[in-house]
Amino acid sequence: MLHLYNWNNYISDTTIERFEKQCACRVVQDYYSDNEEMLAKLAAGATGYDLIVPTGNAVEALIRQQALRPLDKRLLPNLKNIDPAYLDTWFDPGNQYSVPYAYTITLIGYNSEKLRGMDLPLDSWAVVFEPRYLEKLKGHVTVLDSQRELLAAALKYLGYSANDDDETHWKQARDLIIRAKPYWAAFNASSYIKELTVGNIWLVHGYSNDIFQADLDAQNAARGFRILASLPKEGAVLALDSMVLHKSGPRPDLAHRFIDFMLDGRNSSELTNLIGSGNPNLAARPFIQPEIAHNTAVFPGRAQQARLEMLRDLDRNRRRVLSRIWTEIKLR
Amino acid sequence: MSERHDKESPSARITRWLVSGPPLLFLLLLVAIPGVIMVFASFRYPGEFGGLAPLVAADPQTLHGLTIETYRFFFGDFIYAEVFIKSFVMALATTLICLVMAYPLALLIARSSKQIRNLMMLLVILPFTSNFLIGIYAWMIILGPQAALNQTINVLLGVFGIAPVQLLFSPVAVMIAMVYVYLPFMVLPLYTNLEKHDPVLLDAAQDLGANAWQRFWRVTFPLSQPGIFAGSALVFIPAIGMFAVPELLGGTGDIMIGNLIKEQFLGTRDWPFGSTLAILLTLAVLLVVWIVARLSARGGRYA
Repeated sequence: MLHLYNWNNYISDTTIERFEKQCACRVVQDYYSDNEEMLAKLAAGATGYDLIVPTGNAVEALIRQQALRPLDKRLLPNLKNIDPAYLDTWFDPGNQYSVPYAYTITLIGYNSEKLRGMDLPLDSWAVVFEPRYLEKLKGHVTVLDSQRELLAAALKYLGYSANDDDETHWKQARDLIIRAKPYWAAFNASSYIKELTVGNIWLVHGYSNDIFQADLDAQNAARGFRILASLPKEGAVLALDSMVLHKSGPRPDLAHRFIDFMLDGRNSSELTNLIGSGNPNLAARPFIQPEIAHNTAVFPGRAQQARLEMLRDLDRNRRRVLSRIWTEIKLR
Repeated sequence: MSERHDKESPSARITRWLVSGPPLLFLLLLVAIPGVIMVFASFRYPGEFGGLAPLVAADPQTLHGLTIETYRFFFGDFIYAEVFIKSFVMALATTLICLVMAYPLALLIARSSKQIRNLMMLLVILPFTSNFLIGIYAWMIILGPQAALNQTINVLLGVFGIAPVQLLFSPVAVMIAMVYVYLPFMVLPLYTNLEKHDPVLLDAAQDLGANAWQRFWRVTFPLSQPGIFAGSALVFIPAIGMFAVPELLGGTGDIMIGNLIKEQFLGTRDWPFGSTLAILLTLAVLLVVWIVARLSARGGRYA
């Protein structure tokens, strides 16, 4: 029996069934909806998980806590399928502990019909931050209710790194956000998928998976518009989720088998076809539905790929400073 | 009082303990002890991945021990006090609107015949049968820009040449939902109080020449003050800590102290500062309740 601690809706049922048949074992899943929740549960002493799928900064935290088991790469021949651009990351140099699973990009999602003919620069964060464009969209824009994500978008637009922690740059970003704020409907991290689908909100700063979901829902409801995604030219935040082995897991052998199974192109493609997630697996490309595979917002070209950044954790003092800036943003 | 206790029989004493024991234990376990833990946490350093830094560390390089930095941070500038004031105003407005809406309703119910009264009370507590979040999601649909309500309002505003407004994601939406959530908490104590009033008093007042307004203002209203204070406390105290409503229905400026506290524990992973905010909120609320209790002690002399 393999114990998998995974995000909600982050693997296709067919994939699980196929693995169960292949290994003659059972896969038991437990779910979380954010990294903090997962870390907190492990910190509180939860054990018995063979595999976890955390985002980069959480992988780093787990490595630093010495909670992970090093990988035995001889058991992972399919590792060669992974695009080298997603290997050897800052959070796990040399991939001693982690294997890329899927990624999300934080980008711009918009309603194809409502924005038609408005002549907006949809390939730039300017459309989210510049009042001269926002005027046309007043009350129909939401941005993520996340300190790090929104700050990162603003920093990127200003030409800084998403991980820039210079306080004067943060203050510039703050002023940019406060100037744009009157035109936004809300800070929203939960209901913007629905609002996009219904047509109340026309443009969002949101996660690629959510925008894909909103598009699917809009098509299923025959709304007569599409929800499209666009990757701003200034760059964006990439969240790479990786498979790691928890030390407390009783079956590292099965876990290795599962990782290698998931590195297979077809198995890996099924998740992307299900939720529109980014896929670091080159062998998966032929199996991905063409419309998703050709979406350059989720599968960007080399040049764009270089402008994507993963968020690193801030230390406690920085977190407190940012939180104060965030309070100011919310209050003004 | 003490004399009576001395004469209390052993069985009465046991009964008293049996009755007051469970709630006392409950309060101790779930209020007093967590409260002490929070006070303690507010004087510590935040841990690197959330949680708290250790109290003692083998390696003196790592951050450990106690500090008053969170309090210094809070009182270091005005912004957090501003959030407090804002939440206070929101909670006060909720309380007043609830009071104005609940009073006539409670009076109507209290003066209805017995069968109708029970039915009406059932209707008042009906919202409790579903989780309030479901109600909030319903409000998101009702207040949405494509819903009839918002469109009708904008047509009417258009007639007078006023620019259209958006209800969802606005302070108005927050206010509506707060009143929706807390209205029953105002109706119930008011009704309980008003129902006990002796109608003979009103007859007597009428015989003495008081008109309807005077009968209300000089008899019913003073007698109902304990109900007003009880209802106001039941609305104000939870309302000031509300975070779900502003988060779901609020616009870009509708932050309350509850949101700030939640953010410290989840987004910022700064437990000590979150604890500090929670403790200061508790103290502020206690202060308000104390003031109200003083006022009600003075005002309640008719009851």
